[in-house]
Amino acid sequence: MTEQGETGEAITILLVEDDAPTCWRLQDALAKAGYEVRSAGTLAEARQALAAGAPRVLLTDLRLPDGHGVELIREMRQRFPDTEIMVISALGDEESVISAITVGATGYLLKDAFPTDIATTVRDLVAGHSPISASIARFIVRRTQGAAQTSAEPPPGPVLNTARLTPREIDILWGIAKGFSYAEIASHLGLSKQTVPGHIKNIYRKLEVHTRSEAVFEAVQQGLIKL
Amino acid sequence: MSEIAAKAPTRPRRRLIASRLVPYLLLQALIVIVTILGIRLLQPSDPDDYAVSDFSAREDGLTRPITLPHFTSSRYSLADPPCYTGTFTFPSGDAASGWSVYLPRFSNAVEVAVNGVVVLDSRRDANANRPDRNTPQIAVIPASLLREGANEITVRLFVWGPLKGFLDTVYVGPDAALRPAYETRTLLFVTLPVVFSAWQAILAVILAIMWLMRRHEPVYGVLATAMVLGVVQAFAPPPVPPATVSHLAAVLLASAPIESALIVAFGVLFFGWRWPRYGTLLFVPGVAVFVIGLIGGPPLPRILFLVLGIPTVGLCLFLMACITAIAVVRRQDAASFTIGCAVTIVLTCWIQDMLTVLEIVNNDRIFVSRLSYSAMLVAIGAGLTWRFARALNQVDSFAGQLVTRVREAEERLKASFAREEERARAATLANERTRLMRDLHDGLGGQLVSIVALSERGSTGAAITDAARAALKDLRLVIDSMDDIGGDLMLALGSWRERTTAQLRPHDITLDWRVATPQGLPLHPELRPWHVIQIVRILDEAVTNAVKHAQARRIAVTIDTFDAGQGPYGVISVTDDGSGFALAGNGEAAGAGQTARGLRNMKSRAARCGAVLDLTSDASGTRVRLKLPQRFPDSDMAAG
Repeated sequence: MTEQGETGEAITILLVEDDAPTCWRLQDALAKAGYEVRSAGTLAEARQALAAGAPRVLLTDLRLPDGHGVELIREMRQRFPDTEIMVISALGDEESVISAITVGATGYLLKDAFPTDIATTVRDLVAGHSPISASIARFIVRRTQGAAQTSAEPPPGPVLNTARLTPREIDILWGIAKGFSYAEIASHLGLSKQTVPGHIKNIYRKLEVHTRSEAVFEAVQQGLIKL
Repeated sequence: MSEIAAKAPTRPRRRLIASRLVPYLLLQALIVIVTILGIRLLQPSDPDDYAVSDFSAREDGLTRPITLPHFTSSRYSLADPPCYTGTFTFPSGDAASGWSVYLPRFSNAVEVAVNGVVVLDSRRDANANRPDRNTPQIAVIPASLLREGANEITVRLFVWGPLKGFLDTVYVGPDAALRPAYETRTLLFVTLPVVFSAWQAILAVILAIMWLMRRHEPVYGVLATAMVLGVVQAFAPPPVPPATVSHLAAVLLASAPIESALIVAFGVLFFGWRWPRYGTLLFVPGVAVFVIGLIGGPPLPRILFLVLGIPTVGLCLFLMACITAIAVVRRQDAASFTIGCAVTIVLTCWIQDMLTVLEIVNNDRIFVSRLSYSAMLVAIGAGLTWRFARALNQVDSFAGQLVTRVREAEERLKASFAREEERARAATLANERTRLMRDLHDGLGGQLVSIVALSERGSTGAAITDAARAALKDLRLVIDSMDDIGGDLMLALGSWRERTTAQLRPHDITLDWRVATPQGLPLHPELRPWHVIQIVRILDEAVTNAVKHAQARRIAVTIDTFDAGQGPYGVISVTDDGSGFALAGNGEAAGAGQTARGLRNMKSRAARCGAVLDLTSDASGTRVRLKLPQRFPDSDMAAG
């Protein structure tokens, strides 16, 4: 079985992970599912690989020997806006996932996920369904509450601008945070089940900070920086 | 023995009184001397070159030559007054400069005629006739009246008893030579009293306002009353005997004794003593003069005033002097010293006036009591104002001290608060560390050890993978539980559902998730991370049992909220369709296997966070029912 994109070609994945066993594991799982996987252990190798052409999907670890995965994600978003980006995380903690989302990632993958889940997640991502965890959703909605309550002191953790989220999107996040399935959320909110994953991707896109100046602007808007 | 003991404390006290009183009395003696000298020095001088002293006086039909100044007998009728006739020489060639007649002192009223034509009648100026003031008079003699050489001057002296009539030397000469002397006397005996009285009026208003605002301090009211009386006495025009308003005269006469009694009352109150009941007797003479003045016409009130009023004034001054002396001995403060000296001056002036009236001292009949009394009242008023200002300063400094104290207290409080906060933070950190250690020991530590053990035994594959996955899961649980979920257990259960679904997927087991109410579980603001960990571990254990030991195909989690009238509580049930296991009679799993240990663990975890665990198991499946408390305990119930 070979996973194919809309053009019929095999879906290419660039996997950036410095820990060799983890890299093998993920590569095996993805290759078995029919993806065309290239792997890189460092930022330099990843950039080298990009010279050959843009992959459909980028999977990257954040802590790399020669830099931070966030730089790679930012570069990818600028050079190849069509590439889907996911961050690979050992714990799926909000610190790493949210910082990746704000530079353009639209999902995350646990390093110990079961091989079938790894393949499914990537397939969903390519189909436009961004994965989100309850704890990430919880982090985002708690931050929307925090922004409403007080802006006197920036909350700990990564900077996150939730101002652009609509009430409906926040409702969806609440549902996910409380463990409801997409179907349950859709029925609670009177939505079609299929539209929920699209909303998730929108949420990710809204949380993205596109440029440095925009990041400063957002920070000022939120009162994180006092001019 | 007892006599010595009784005397012992009195002797030093007496010595103390003496040591304080003697210097004070010496000071007062000095003041008396200075006052007498001052009165002598301030005696205004008159232009003696133009004095006309030789007169022939016609009194009661009897004519005899006299020399001015001259006293006539006291009389009560204005008819046929003593008439003094004298001559003065108007030099030829001096017609250009105007000539005047100047009378420095007379009592009570005069009518002056030059060459038979009246040029001055003091009865028209009510204030000039007051015996207590030393008002001089001057009148320009019309040039047409003057003849070169000898001219005749006639002075008719009107006297109303009981005081004797008095006529000082008469001066006739160029106006330019006489007027400076006249002006000096006017300044001293007319203008100055008016100034003092005006001052008194202002102080009366101020003191009255003070008394109105501070009713519990009658001292201000007493002094204000005294001053008002003094002002009325000074400014009300005294009636000249032919006038019929004799009642007003009585009131004016009564003012002096009443005023002096009020001053004594002020002294007593000012030095903080109680006004004695018999003290009211001091007011009797003044009131008597007043009442008799209202009933009987003149000259009765005047006689009464001389007999009753003036001695009362003297008595009051003497009492005041005693009061201030006692105050000086007791208090030794500036206020009592000042008032004491002022009283001594007034008393000296009063004695001087008495001696003048009794013709013991020849003083040209200049009375100084009234003037000195006004000065004393002004001094007292100034003293009171000074005391008031000092009180304000004290209030200010008290307020300042208060501000400083409050600031200090605030600083201390802040410091102790910071210390307390620091302590609390340290305690929290220590607790957190303890908890984290226990959590890691319970889960991650054990699992890692078991991975080590498995690796050493050469095991491969599934066993190590399971242990490592369990360790990772536990690590995520510990991290997750540290997050602030705002008391909403549903947020923690959401993550758990996600993890459990992922865990069950390879086993092909379905996880049914049913939340009975839209809200899920009631909010628990007191919910702490360790409660969350215990609950999640219970649920993990239930799921693990269902998967490993009961071979279940389907696991259902139901989240429900009940309310038995004492507030809502949540119930989480985990039901499986597995084979179940046998329970002993006491609800414990039979046997000592892993299941039994797991069940014991679950029970103890539930107990630690105040929850109740129910377990039912039979061949059709197992049901774990966890009834959450209405309020989670603050401290670990099992640990203490």
